[in-house]
Amino acid sequence: MSASQSAVRSRAEAVKVSRTFDWMILFTLFFVVLGGYHIHYMLTGGDWDFWTDWKDRRLWVTVAPIVSITFPAAVQACLWYRYRLPFGAVVCVLGLLLGEWVNRYLNFWGWTYFPVNFCFPSNLMPGAIVLDGIMLLGGSMTLTAVVGGLAWGLLFYPGNWPVIAPLHVPVEYNGMMMTLADLQGYNYVRTGTPEYIRMVEKGTLRTFGKDVAPVSAFFSGFVSIIIYFLWHFFGRWFASTDFISSENL
Amino acid sequence: MKLLKDKVAKLSFVALLAASSAAMLYTPTAAAHGEKSQAAFMRMRTIHWFDLNWSKEEVKVNDTMTVTGKFYVFLGWPETVDKPEVSFLNVGIPGPVFIRQGSWIGGQLVPRSVSLELGETYEFKVLLKARRPGDWHVHSMMNVQGGGPIIGPGKWTTITGSMKDFVNPVTTLTGETIDLETYNLDNTYFWHALWYALGLAWLAYWIRKPMFIPRSIAMESGKANTLITATDRKVGMAFVAGTIALVATAMTSTNEKYPITTPLQAGLLRGMKTVEMPAKTVTVKVEDATYRVPGRAMQMTLKITNNGDSAVRLGEFNTASVRFLDSAVLEDTTGYPDDLLAEDGLTVSDNSPLAPGQTRTVQVTASDAAWEVYRLADLIYDPDSRFAGLLFFFDEAGKRQMITVDAPLIPVFI
Repeated sequence: MSASQSAVRSRAEAVKVSRTFDWMILFTLFFVVLGGYHIHYMLTGGDWDFWTDWKDRRLWVTVAPIVSITFPAAVQACLWYRYRLPFGAVVCVLGLLLGEWVNRYLNFWGWTYFPVNFCFPSNLMPGAIVLDGIMLLGGSMTLTAVVGGLAWGLLFYPGNWPVIAPLHVPVEYNGMMMTLADLQGYNYVRTGTPEYIRMVEKGTLRTFGKDVAPVSAFFSGFVSIIIYFLWHFFGRWFASTDFISSENL
Repeated sequence: MKLLKDKVAKLSFVALLAASSAAMLYTPTAAAHGEKSQAAFMRMRTIHWFDLNWSKEEVKVNDTMTVTGKFYVFLGWPETVDKPEVSFLNVGIPGPVFIRQGSWIGGQLVPRSVSLELGETYEFKVLLKARRPGDWHVHSMMNVQGGGPIIGPGKWTTITGSMKDFVNPVTTLTGETIDLETYNLDNTYFWHALWYALGLAWLAYWIRKPMFIPRSIAMESGKANTLITATDRKVGMAFVAGTIALVATAMTSTNEKYPITTPLQAGLLRGMKTVEMPAKTVTVKVEDATYRVPGRAMQMTLKITNNGDSAVRLGEFNTASVRFLDSAVLEDTTGYPDDLLAEDGLTVSDNSPLAPGQTRTVQVTASDAAWEVYRLADLIYDPDSRFAGLLFFFDEAGKRQMITVDAPLIPVFI
């Protein structure tokens, strides 16, 4: 067979090779994204995602969406511009959540015995589905950034509320009031994570009474729009193919 | 060629077996908390722990024990460490082998960070409930923002029983009694599984059709518009609308189920009650201090003046949680950890009772292997080569008074 000849001999064989290629790329993409996104999110979101007593109405709501829209934006840009495939955000979050659950179950619980109800990851899936859906329906990166980025920030807190609300039930403990999440943080000793490291409920957002979560979510959404733009350019750059002219060699 | 391949395969197999065996057969327990690695000046010149007591040495799962004692916040706090204005009373244990049921400073519960004053002494208590069986080193510990963890003495404690039996019942302000060990677990798994399944469904819809090569060819040949069908758009709309509806419904039903929720609690606790220590009637001036490296001994020349009305003797020098005792004056009956106790480690050139109004200059030697074992000798490599500690004097009635010392230390290498 010469270099100019096709590697396949029939259409059926071409389809088979193409599908094999699909699964290989998808498998590789999934685990590369799982690793990269997981490290990125642990380094930037870290404790806010690890512990229930960090999942507050202000900083968790603000920080987690901003630092987590990065990989979805980049992978979405790559898959959309090259293949018109609108599952970049979902595949990222599927990979991240799988990696996080493996980590939380085997490391946090399996090695160090922190209860899973204290160290489960945040749920990013509602935002990811909407982000991909808007990409599909609008076909515009600008629209996806503005509407999808905002939705990413806005859906985060309500998307997690069914899981964390039971842990925000108050309890009286030795004469002080705290939430069950606070109590988890106090009961289950973290030698290397003293209480003052917690960045919760800090800030100057005091004019909205108790309803600070929606304001934080809006702010998070606005910043997510900017971060989406930035990271989608990374994705486009990564997905581009350039050739060097032989004259320049 | 085949012979070579077989040899490589065999050698690889042997290497794999050797690596697995090495990993499985030698697995020592990592039980320490880095207490010996912490800079010596940090342990000598920040928080001085004393009068420590571990209520039990063996405890069953679900039973409790306490760690009690006092700590003195050293007045000569090093400049290189942030002041303890934001501190947290902790315990040094390998993960949640116990749960912390309570911790108090001066009788006040301290689930949050506290502000401590230099030169003050505080009483503390930590109540621990046994959770995971094993032998664990239980330390007192103070985390200081900008300073790091300042670990106190540790004692081995054994937990017996089975972790499966552990329970952590809590009654909420809404009247419900729950087991915090397993509370909300099914709910967490349910919501994560549901959303993960929805994500997989979205992915499955797209990957059932040919993906990368045919779509890439279509894109490059200008047929991008043909790649998204009307059905695709309908499915997309259904997913977006369904997601928003599910989030809204789940939030509403959660609010109905948990109508009373409060934000996480945070904030600094100030004004901790201090311990009134007995009035000091003894003054001590450190004339000089040397550390003899080959002999593992620290020698101080102290000028001691007794301004009280009862004769006193020096019984103990306590630094970095290591206690050097003169057994003729003081014997430990508290079960203090052996490795931190030098029962005859304190030698005073003249330790006869110092009468009221009298001044005496004495040579005090604190010698024990603990200087090396606990790496206190590394003090000579610290950026601020000073030593510090607590001296305990005892009068004729057995009353104790605590005097702090803080002075430069000169190493002697020959």
